[in-house]
Amino acid sequence: MKQLENGPQWRVTLKEAWPLCLSYTPIGLACGILLHAAGFNTILTGLVSIFVFSGGAQFMIAQMLTTTAPILTIILMLFFLELRYALLGSSLASYLKGQNHRFLFLFAVSMNDENYAINYLKFVTDRNWTPKDALQVEHWSLLVWTVSNIIGSLIGSAVQINLTVVNFALTALFLYMIVMQIKTRLILLISVVAGVLAAFFMLLTKSTLGLVISTLVASFLGFMIEGYVSKRWPNSHLLYKIHDPSGQPEVDKEDIEI
Amino acid sequence: MHYSVTDHLLIVILGFFVAFGPRYIPILFFSNRKIPDWFNDWMKYVPVSLFTAIVVKDIFISGSYHFISSGNLDLILASIIVIIISYWTRSMAISVVFGLIAVMLLSMLI
Repeated sequence: MKQLENGPQWRVTLKEAWPLCLSYTPIGLACGILLHAAGFNTILTGLVSIFVFSGGAQFMIAQMLTTTAPILTIILMLFFLELRYALLGSSLASYLKGQNHRFLFLFAVSMNDENYAINYLKFVTDRNWTPKDALQVEHWSLLVWTVSNIIGSLIGSAVQINLTVVNFALTALFLYMIVMQIKTRLILLISVVAGVLAAFFMLLTKSTLGLVISTLVASFLGFMIEGYVSKRWPNSHLLYKIHDPSGQPEVDKEDIEI
Repeated sequence: MHYSVTDHLLIVILGFFVAFGPRYIPILFFSNRKIPDWFNDWMKYVPVSLFTAIVVKDIFISGSYHFISSGNLDLILASIIVIIISYWTRSMAISVVFGLIAVMLLSMLI
């Protein structure tokens, strides 16, 4: 049905993926430029974009290479940085039930924060969103990311970049995702709590491990409060819906209660 | 210490494993089992918590993990603009594009 209504599958998925691809272009270019400056050759820049496929990790590699950190230190830092993906995988798993091992392998290899954010939103709001669509979104973002990294590596130091501005493309993407997630007052509260905890734990651990800890604690708090409040005070103000100015209920009731 | 191309290749290969492990193992584990309801209820709050944490890191935490209170005023103002635009338009593309324009202008002004 969906094929007939919206054209071929690649167009359906590209329609969801293009804002991300747009954000990835300047960041990928910047990342390629920095990796080039750190001594990475173009082939390796392409390889790292495909096999590590994480903006944060690649920026960190570039930065640590310029400070001549030992390889083991770089890998350990990468590991802590990438640990958060365990949370992404766990929260998507219920939508990937019944897929074979090959699919799960392919899906995991090219999952990252940004395409996860898009796919999670689609899985929650669109009943027709399939794991195959989600994989295609991952592949669109992988393609644009890798190509812009390679181009960045080729143009090398010929271009001046303002990293603060470029990085904000992803910050804006996540801000948008947060706004779309905030459907009740409780979720708003958890978001604020998560932000405070994130700052606290990152200052404490001096690493992105703080992201993992704060996410675990804040999400668990949300789960506990929801359970407690909906049992004790089902009419609590915390469970009030937050007004959606688009006016249409985007999510079916059944879809929320997965 | 000077790195050779082999060192770089080693970083890519080892980097792949540390990036792949955390992505694959939970997906493999949870996709082939009956997931208890409480776990799904908990995971429901993961995206919003993680995204907020990432935004806080981008805006308030420096590269050496120190707190930046008002140093990134351009980012803070641009973030507020993005939040308002996202809330009203519900469009990712518009939010990102206007966010980038805002931060570009603000970083020149501030």
